[in-house]
Amino acid sequence: MEVVTTVVGNYPRPEWFRDYLRKVEGLQKDLDVEVDREVLKKAIVEVLDEQKKAGIEILTDGQLIWHDFLLTLASRLDGFEMNGLVRYFDNNLYYRIPIVKGKIRRVKMLLYDLEIAFEMEKNVKAVLSCYTITKLSRNKFYKSYEDFLWDLCKAIKEEIKELESMGIKYIQIDEPSLLYAEKSELEVLKDIYNELTNVNVETILMTYFAPADRIFPDVLDFGFDVIGLDFVEGFEENLMIVKEYSFERINVGIVDGRNTKMEDLNELKDRFDRIISSGNFKKVYISPNTGLEFLPRIKAYEKMQLVTKLKEVVR
Amino acid sequence: MKTTVVGSYPKPKWLLKMIKLYKEGKIDDKVMDEAYKDAVKAVVKDHEIAGVDIIWDGEMRREEMTSYFAERIDGFVIYGEVRVWGNAYYPKPSIVGELRYRDELAINDFLYLKSITDKKIKVPITGAYTIVDWSFNEYYKTKEDAVYALAEVLNREFRELVKVGANYIQIDEPAIPTHPEEIEIAKNAVEIMVKGVNAYIGMHMCYGNYRAIFPEILDFKVDQIDFEFANRNFEDLAILKEYSYDKDLGFGCIDVHSRRVESVEEVKKAIYMALEVVEPKQLYIDPDCGLKLLPRDIAFEKLKVMVKATNEVKEELGLSN
Repeated sequence: MEVVTTVVGNYPRPEWFRDYLRKVEGLQKDLDVEVDREVLKKAIVEVLDEQKKAGIEILTDGQLIWHDFLLTLASRLDGFEMNGLVRYFDNNLYYRIPIVKGKIRRVKMLLYDLEIAFEMEKNVKAVLSCYTITKLSRNKFYKSYEDFLWDLCKAIKEEIKELESMGIKYIQIDEPSLLYAEKSELEVLKDIYNELTNVNVETILMTYFAPADRIFPDVLDFGFDVIGLDFVEGFEENLMIVKEYSFERINVGIVDGRNTKMEDLNELKDRFDRIISSGNFKKVYISPNTGLEFLPRIKAYEKMQLVTKLKEVVR
Repeated sequence: MKTTVVGSYPKPKWLLKMIKLYKEGKIDDKVMDEAYKDAVKAVVKDHEIAGVDIIWDGEMRREEMTSYFAERIDGFVIYGEVRVWGNAYYPKPSIVGELRYRDELAINDFLYLKSITDKKIKVPITGAYTIVDWSFNEYYKTKEDAVYALAEVLNREFRELVKVGANYIQIDEPAIPTHPEEIEIAKNAVEIMVKGVNAYIGMHMCYGNYRAIFPEILDFKVDQIDFEFANRNFEDLAILKEYSYDKDLGFGCIDVHSRRVESVEEVKKAIYMALEVVEPKQLYIDPDCGLKLLPRDIAFEKLKVMVKATNEVKEELGLSN
């Protein structure tokens, strides 16, 4: 069994970069202005180095210019307009709600920050989303929800194809909203995800904030190479999933990315062992359950170190 | 019918410069303390000129409504800032030990304010539920346990405040409407906070879905609830009507998110709408929330309009206060 350390996506911004953004963008409006590429690069380098220093093997760019978490993707697509602030799941974090005002089109690269990271570091993964964006935005254009979902899917697929041709090796689709999907929606989602995952890179479905029992077994036919489960928020339920269904590659989100409390390594190991012995995995990613931006930076770093320590003791 | 404020007021620009110098170690405690006091005097004068009935000190010493208190209570540490949205961050405290009363939180501010004004004073303090909701919990088994422990700490502060003469305390609980499923915890916490506190108790809540907290919020052991109404075009008044609202009403009728100064006429119209829900003696007219994010001159103008509108309505109704 191969064990690989990774993180979920976002990471706290370096303090100087935060100050820089506040200066060029202000606090309230006019977000998403083009930031100086060299400045952004410097910030990304810092965050990549921090991950490597902590022992993380598959890295992310930290999503340092993402203002609206997953919804940032919407702000870079044609067809969306960003509106008032809305709470992001049960976090004390807010995003501007995207309103669909026209046909959704991809007119430029969405992950230009990833492109910068990839120039310097090949073991970075792309983080995208699809269904969650449709669920967290308001559709005022499409007559049918399915048309909306498919147009967004096509736009994301274009991005994936470009990332694939760039040489990106890992593509992660974050779908916290999927955990609340209706059974009736899973049929169309099967087609959507088979379209998105029909590429020659490793594809990862990342779920968090809740257990994933509602989407099993359907999700096993979505075409993902790796399924990511949150073992902080849904340990018992997700453990049952692992016992009941068979899949080969898993992302075990086991270190709490939303609390500064440092877990006891032995307890983590015990939980990890219970998960692994319940399945038959060939490849296991270990990570925090969520992005680390919910934490002050010093704690985010310690959480990554904890992920690495866990890998050391389970080997 | 009285006019009041929610709490914060724009800090004078010179004070912001002083705070920066202080943080850089370029001025000493004594000078900084004098600067804070002078700033409070300036703010109080603004409120007095505007004619506000019940005032606070504009929260010149508070930079933020969670960490300010957390820094003064045993059991909290602050590791750093986290994002709330976009480019906005706040120092999010972590609870790492038993929460215990250490320093006064608002007593010195109250006493100083009392020494420089004859106005009636309200003392706003962030409530236990909100502080815990906006903190990490490393120590207590459940969030509920942490909330109640903090409520005990705040109860002691409230009782001390009453001992030194405070008679109006406002519990700021903006986090309550964001978690309607935990409203029972928040309610119990209020009961702990006000236990044995012989003062008029208000509770301020801004932002969030008010409908989700009705009718439960009516059972909270407070004399007054202060809501924001202007921000949502007074639509939420309908909810109060629907549930036969019978507490005193803190009526937020000045939009703190907009730099446009309201007209006296539109504020009067709003006040008459509020009077369809409560009696004049139950009505406390104030801005939606603290004014601190506005430019000071605009905040001042808004207060003047609010008082003028209130006075005209009182005159039209033949009310003496």
